[in-house]
Amino acid sequence: MNPPGPLGVLEEKEEEHLSTPILGPSIHSDNPQERIHARRLRIAARLEARRREALGEYLDGKKESEEDQSKSYKQKEESRLKLAKLLLCGTELVTNIQVATDIREIHRRVEEQELKRQRLEKLENEVKTSQDKFDEITAKWEEGKQKRIPQDLWDMLNTQQMHCAGLIEDKNKLISELQQELKIKDDQYVKDLKKQSDDICLLLERMEEQVKHVMKTFRQELNYIEKAFEVERRDLLTSNKKKWEQALQAHNTKELEYLMNRIKKVEDYEKQLNRQRIWDWEEYNMIKIKLEQDVQVLEQQLQQMKATYQLNQEKLEYNFQVLKKRDEESTVIKSQQKRKINRLHDTLNNLRSKYAKQIKQFQEENQSLTSDYKRLVTQFKELQKSMRHFALIDDKQFREIWLMNEEEAKDLISRAFGVDRIIHTHHLGLPWTAPDFWFLRNVGPISQQPRKSATQILEEVLMQAEEEETEEAASEAESYLDLPKQISPKTTRKILMLLCDESGFLIESKLLSLLLPLEKNECYLLKLDAIFSALGIESEDDLYKLVNFFLKYRVYHSPSSQVIHPYAFLQLNPWHLSPPQEQTSLLSALEPGKQPDLEGQKEESLVEGEPEEKEAPPSSRLIHPNDVLKILEAFVMGLKKPRDSWAPVRLKYVRDNSKDSEYWEALATVIPDTTQNLWDALYTALEKYHLILTQRAKLLIENNSLEQQNTELQMLLQKYLDSKINSELQVPPTRVFRAPTK
Amino acid sequence: MQETLATSTLSAPRRSSIFTQERFSTAGQTSSTGPQPSRSSNIPPPGESKGWNSGTKVRRMRRIIAEDPEWSLAIVPLLTELCIRHIIKNFQNNPILKQLLPEHQQKVLSHLSPELPLAVTANLIDDESYWRRCCMHRWPVCHVARHGGSWKRLFFERHLENLIKHFIPSTTDPAVLLDLLPLCRSYVRRLRVDQLLPPVQLPGPPRTGELSDSGSEGETEEPATDHYQLRDLVAGLSHLEELDLVYGVKDCGMNFEGNLFLFTYRDCHSLAATIKACHTLKIFRLTRSKVDDDKARILIRGLLDHPALEELDLSHNLIGDRGARAAAKLLSHSHLRVLNLANNQVRAPGAQSLAHALAHNTNLISLNLRLNCIEDEGGQALAHALQTNKCLTTLHLGGNELSEPTATLLSQVLSVNTTLTSINLSCNHIGLDGGKQLLEGMSDNKTLLEFDLRLSDVAQESEYLIGQVLCANREAARQRTLNPGHFMSPVIAKGPENPAQ
Repeated sequence: MNPPGPLGVLEEKEEEHLSTPILGPSIHSDNPQERIHARRLRIAARLEARRREALGEYLDGKKESEEDQSKSYKQKEESRLKLAKLLLCGTELVTNIQVATDIREIHRRVEEQELKRQRLEKLENEVKTSQDKFDEITAKWEEGKQKRIPQDLWDMLNTQQMHCAGLIEDKNKLISELQQELKIKDDQYVKDLKKQSDDICLLLERMEEQVKHVMKTFRQELNYIEKAFEVERRDLLTSNKKKWEQALQAHNTKELEYLMNRIKKVEDYEKQLNRQRIWDWEEYNMIKIKLEQDVQVLEQQLQQMKATYQLNQEKLEYNFQVLKKRDEESTVIKSQQKRKINRLHDTLNNLRSKYAKQIKQFQEENQSLTSDYKRLVTQFKELQKSMRHFALIDDKQFREIWLMNEEEAKDLISRAFGVDRIIHTHHLGLPWTAPDFWFLRNVGPISQQPRKSATQILEEVLMQAEEEETEEAASEAESYLDLPKQISPKTTRKILMLLCDESGFLIESKLLSLLLPLEKNECYLLKLDAIFSALGIESEDDLYKLVNFFLKYRVYHSPSSQVIHPYAFLQLNPWHLSPPQEQTSLLSALEPGKQPDLEGQKEESLVEGEPEEKEAPPSSRLIHPNDVLKILEAFVMGLKKPRDSWAPVRLKYVRDNSKDSEYWEALATVIPDTTQNLWDALYTALEKYHLILTQRAKLLIENNSLEQQNTELQMLLQKYLDSKINSELQVPPTRVFRAPTK
Repeated sequence: MQETLATSTLSAPRRSSIFTQERFSTAGQTSSTGPQPSRSSNIPPPGESKGWNSGTKVRRMRRIIAEDPEWSLAIVPLLTELCIRHIIKNFQNNPILKQLLPEHQQKVLSHLSPELPLAVTANLIDDESYWRRCCMHRWPVCHVARHGGSWKRLFFERHLENLIKHFIPSTTDPAVLLDLLPLCRSYVRRLRVDQLLPPVQLPGPPRTGELSDSGSEGETEEPATDHYQLRDLVAGLSHLEELDLVYGVKDCGMNFEGNLFLFTYRDCHSLAATIKACHTLKIFRLTRSKVDDDKARILIRGLLDHPALEELDLSHNLIGDRGARAAAKLLSHSHLRVLNLANNQVRAPGAQSLAHALAHNTNLISLNLRLNCIEDEGGQALAHALQTNKCLTTLHLGGNELSEPTATLLSQVLSVNTTLTSINLSCNHIGLDGGKQLLEGMSDNKTLLEFDLRLSDVAQESEYLIGQVLCANREAARQRTLNPGHFMSPVIAKGPENPAQ
């Protein structure tokens, strides 16, 4: 009963193993709480299942199974029952013998026991009786001992013997009885043996029979069962086949359906896959490109960074090196400098000493030089004296040389004219006229008037103003010569007066005090002289420039009534670059309308004195005294530069020799080029002619010589032909042959 | 063959000899029929003798050789074959087996003679087929299933049994048995000796039939009728599990003698010591040996607290109440599962003591008290014990003079007890009323499968009805075995969880 239990439980447990994982908590989990919970659930489920089974599920199942496999099952059950009964009967039949022997044995035992009891009783009785008898006999022996009478004794002995014999007989009887019994027992034993062998035979027989029978029935039943099974199998086969076919058909259709679905799905998936793949591919490419670009950029950056890094490194290294070098250099330099400093200190000391020495020396030198200078000044004065003297002498010599050269040149010219005349008249047959030139009449060096200084001009101007009334027209021409044509002496004088009045600060106070007692004109003269010396105006040109400047200023400012800064005016007029003539011409070019007016004004003023006087105020009014200073400032600023460059090269007197070269050249070219060309051509033609003539002369000479030679040769030939040596020189051929052998 | 070739080359011109050789070889190859080397070598001699005379005869000889249809290269046995044959021939002197390849081993074993001395084969050969041949050779009927399915074990067990059976103390040399001991010690598990011969006083053949023949009448009673002392033998058998002894002579028939069946005290003591020393023993049977109370007590004292003993069979002896009491003591001092005291002289007191031991026993499954005389007192005591016992399944009380009172008590037991499956009350005096009561008891029982009430004065009707109930029970039991899952007691259901963990 018990063994099946665990198996069933195991099976059930297995089932539950299958079911438990779905429930949730697993008994294999690591959490002990969970495991306990799972086990509890399992036990509960098991109990539930058991209860259900107890209620009759088992029976239902059994019935169902009986119905299901009725035929074979029925047959099987039938056979089983039959066979069980048969076996039971058979074993009963066989064991019946054992039971029978058992009961027989029991009976035998009972009988035996009874017999034994009887025998024992009998024996006991016998023993009792025999004992009694024996006691009797033994008692009698005592009796017999008392017997003295032999008969009695004999009698007694006889009786004793009889008794003993009786006793023995009894015993023997008993023994024989027992032996009889034993014999019976032996017979019984033999009988039992026989019986047992019979029984065994019977048993064997029965067993054999039973075996045979059982075998037969088993075979029969087996056949039946087999038949039943076969029938059932056939039925089952047919039904199953039908079922199978149906199922197969259904399966086929389903399979087909699934297949179609699958194909469709596969196609769908394929499409999706393709799409996905393409998409992925594109994305991948994009990403790849992007990444590659990134990579490239990064690489570039990296390279750049590397490059910069390297560059920086190199730079830094270089800088480092440089700094190092510099450091080294600086150290070197420092040391050098130190050395230098030392040296320089040395030199400084040296120099100091030298300096002191030199100071001394220079003082000495200075003294000597001053003395030298003094000497030189005296020498210079002497030299000037001599120079003046030499100049006079030079002039004289120059004049003499000039005259001499001129005479020589004129002589040559007259000769050239004579030749020309001969050529013209004799060779060309042309009439000749003597040319007339101014320089031919000139005798002596070409004279030139010297330049005047500013003060002289001033004097002149002032003097002119004084002499105005007296000799108006006469001086007009002269002054015209002195002054440039456009500036009238009156305006000049007025300007100068104005300048004198306004720029009194330029005159030294001492001079002013000295001038007080002097005449008006002289006073002006001196004042102006001082002013000009202060302004640096020395020459006539400078003075004119100043006057011009004033005029221009007035021209610029008065009509337009504009106040222009003198510098701007200066800028408009590049004074320092253009000479005075150009300056004026430029001015006139700028204001063509003004110039005639000015000239006209001048002419008017020159023509009429009185109106000019009247006109003066406007002119003076035109140039406001306040402006004078400005004009002066501007003038000084403008004049300063050109003056600086020109100032040192200033000779007191230089003869103008520009006309000299012209004069001499004119003298040289008194014969014009055309005549010269004519002469050249004539010369060449004459030369050719001469050449031909000379050739002719040569040929003539040659002819003469050849004639002479011919005659000489004729003579020589005659002479040789006549000489004897010819015959002597003739050698016979034999000798010729003999000679080479030697 | 080579001889013939040699002769031909000697006699014939060289050229022709080559020719013949070629022909010979071709013929040999073409005719590959069953070869007999002896025969082919037998043929040439006449030719050889003739060959010396003339060339024509040589030619004829050649022809004969060339047409030999039975020659083949295959006739030459393989060297392995030869070796194996040699090994087989000389196996007794030089046993070579373990060194061989498996297939060669097989070959050797299949050709070994079954008569080889056991000293050679016993520990060397494990092959079942060889031992099977040995067994079949010696005994016509062999139940290998009774020997654990092992032919070797069967051979050694039966061989040893035979030797013991025919051992005559003081005549046969005990060395015969002891020599065998080292050979069979690891194979013998069971000894079933159904006769142990007593020592022979008169010169007679060892065979029992002839022995008893001569010594039937004029035997002189001698005290030394001790049988063979099994102690040494049993001590040597290390795997012995079952010992089945009968101190008596078999098949004595009409030559029966009392002293043939004497189980002396010395025998008894020695046997007790033997079984006490044998710790592997599971089944001990001593039947038909005139074991009385004292001897039984001696034996049982030896078996007390035995570590392995499961079955004790002392049937067909002369054990009385004291012996039964000793057995009852043994029940509570061992793991005995089967106790057989059939055909003894146990009476009510012995049965009572047994019942007392049985009441709380948890090992005994089967108790056989057939053909005793426990009577109603003993029967009632046993019935009371069965009310508490939860282990016993088989009870045989046939032929015990039981009657109605026992039956009434047993009917009560039947309705309560759920372990008993087989009860035998045959050959008792149950009576009609007792039969009815038993039927009542049976109606409540669902477990009993066999209930023998033959020849016990029970009414046919009740016996039939009881038979019906038994049939139903049997059917239920069969269902239980077929569908073990459906009837589970909750107690058991808890059990198998342990292995799961």
